Amino acid sequence: MTQRRPHLLGASGLPWILPAVAVLLALSIYPLIYAVKVSLTGPGGAFTFANFARLAGDRVFAAAGVQTLVLTIAALIIEFTLGLALALLIDSLARAKSFFRAGLLIPMLLPPVVAAVAWRLIFNPQFGVLNGTLRELGLNTASLLWTGGDRSALASVILVDVWEWTPFLFLLLSAGLQAIPPEPVEAARIDGAGAWQIFRDVTLPLLRPVILLALLLRAMDLVRIFDQIFILTQGGPGTATETVSLYIYRTAFRFSNFGYAAAMSFVLLAATMVFARGLAQIMRPRTAGVR
Amino acid sequence: MKAVLRYLAAVAALMAALAPVYWLVTISLKREIDQFAYPPRWIGFAPTLQHYVEAFGSGSFGMYFTNSVLLAAMSTVAALLIGVPAAYGLTRFEWPRDWNNRIADWILSTRMLPPIVTIVPLFLMLREMHLINSLLGLAIVYTGFNLPFVVWMMRGFFAEVPREIEEAAMLDGESRVGALMRIVLPLVKPGLAATAVFCLVVAWNEFLFALILTQTNAAMTLPVGIASRVTQYEIKWGAMSAAGVVAMLPVLVFATAVQKYLVRGLSLGAVKG
Repeated sequence: MTQRRPHLLGASGLPWILPAVAVLLALSIYPLIYAVKVSLTGPGGAFTFANFARLAGDRVFAAAGVQTLVLTIAALIIEFTLGLALALLIDSLARAKSFFRAGLLIPMLLPPVVAAVAWRLIFNPQFGVLNGTLRELGLNTASLLWTGGDRSALASVILVDVWEWTPFLFLLLSAGLQAIPPEPVEAARIDGAGAWQIFRDVTLPLLRPVILLALLLRAMDLVRIFDQIFILTQGGPGTATETVSLYIYRTAFRFSNFGYAAAMSFVLLAATMVFARGLAQIMRPRTAGVR
Repeated sequence: MKAVLRYLAAVAALMAALAPVYWLVTISLKREIDQFAYPPRWIGFAPTLQHYVEAFGSGSFGMYFTNSVLLAAMSTVAALLIGVPAAYGLTRFEWPRDWNNRIADWILSTRMLPPIVTIVPLFLMLREMHLINSLLGLAIVYTGFNLPFVVWMMRGFFAEVPREIEEAAMLDGESRVGALMRIVLPLVKPGLAATAVFCLVVAWNEFLFALILTQTNAAMTLPVGIASRVTQYEIKWGAMSAAGVVAMLPVLVFATAVQKYLVRGLSLGAVKG
């Protein structure tokens, strides 16, 4: 009789995963349930829908939602375009590729708080280096308030995010480009396709899974953006850069209205789940080999 | 000619990426009169270490630094101790009806929860347990935050080790745990190290949880300490920049160490890079 394969010998993986499942139940699922309870509890401890009803009429929340959406979409488009251009550019260099790659990644690696502090130094209208340099070049900077201006604050925040996270798109797209087998590109070239045609009809379709993955990961992070804005503008001036995360933070930890904060956070959760579903679908087939 | 233009474009991009970091470093090294001089001094100033001395000598940044180190270390060790066995369990056993993949998906989904969603209940829960303003409380939260990441990364690394290797060891009399410790873990050591480094960096850089769960000097982390100075009325830019430079150095060192796995880690294991 042949010996049975050891992994079939009374093998249950359950004990191995139980601690992890228990920790995640305690730190993710239980808090979610707790949040539902908090959001449905009124001041006297009575059951209430008031927190959710209030959402519909809250204009600050609506503005924060719109701003979060604008920021997410604008940053995604710019970061993707720049990231792809950079990936193609660096990929086309004959030498020093890894030098440029390592250097270009640095903004993304910094603690977000530190990156934002650097930009506060740069943006300051009076003594910041940005206006200082522009003035040196002979420009009138009196009206350039950057994060301090009603109309320019959101754009300035987007600028910082583009600086900080274009490297992420660049890195993933670079990896995607390197993984493309040379044969289809060669074949297209032999068939007489031009550089643009090869890019559009061969490279881009082959990059598609990586592009989707990168965009979804980034989108999920953008809708919850907090750190940079907290340092740069605290949501101001006025509510010009108020985002959903920031408003929830203020509601809970400045005004101690935990119920309403929890209710709002479920809106953010719903938005995240849209992206998460898409992500799960992309990640699934890639790990199908894992058994 | 075209090649020259390409290099010029690449150099310009690199300068755009590095200029803000460079500026922060110069501010941390400049005397106060040079910091905001006009025209801006990119080079040619008399460097001083006075801001580093101020921030870490007499100031509280030394304590914040220690807190950040302890916190990153504690939460990383805990996440690995709990997450590595889970990853092993999900890759190496027969699971009925695809349950291993279902559980893995669920684990990943907990990672995707926006922190602001769980922070309100976690704050209330930890307050009841008197774990606010305590490194332990924050370490527990970070462990839960890094755990899904560890499971997903290590699942990928374990899957790359042929099962036959440990089966052979077990036929030779090794126990399951013995085979894991003596055969499999050494084989995935680079992956394990990279996973640990990612956990360290995430804990080191994290801000929102730390901001809410630590409000006293004794428990604050470096990012929170820096942030608390920015929101003050009079900002000491020198000391703050010095603290910022110190906060970013370990991350840059670590990132260089795991360069090979950077893509894999940032894509939660989805892109092998």
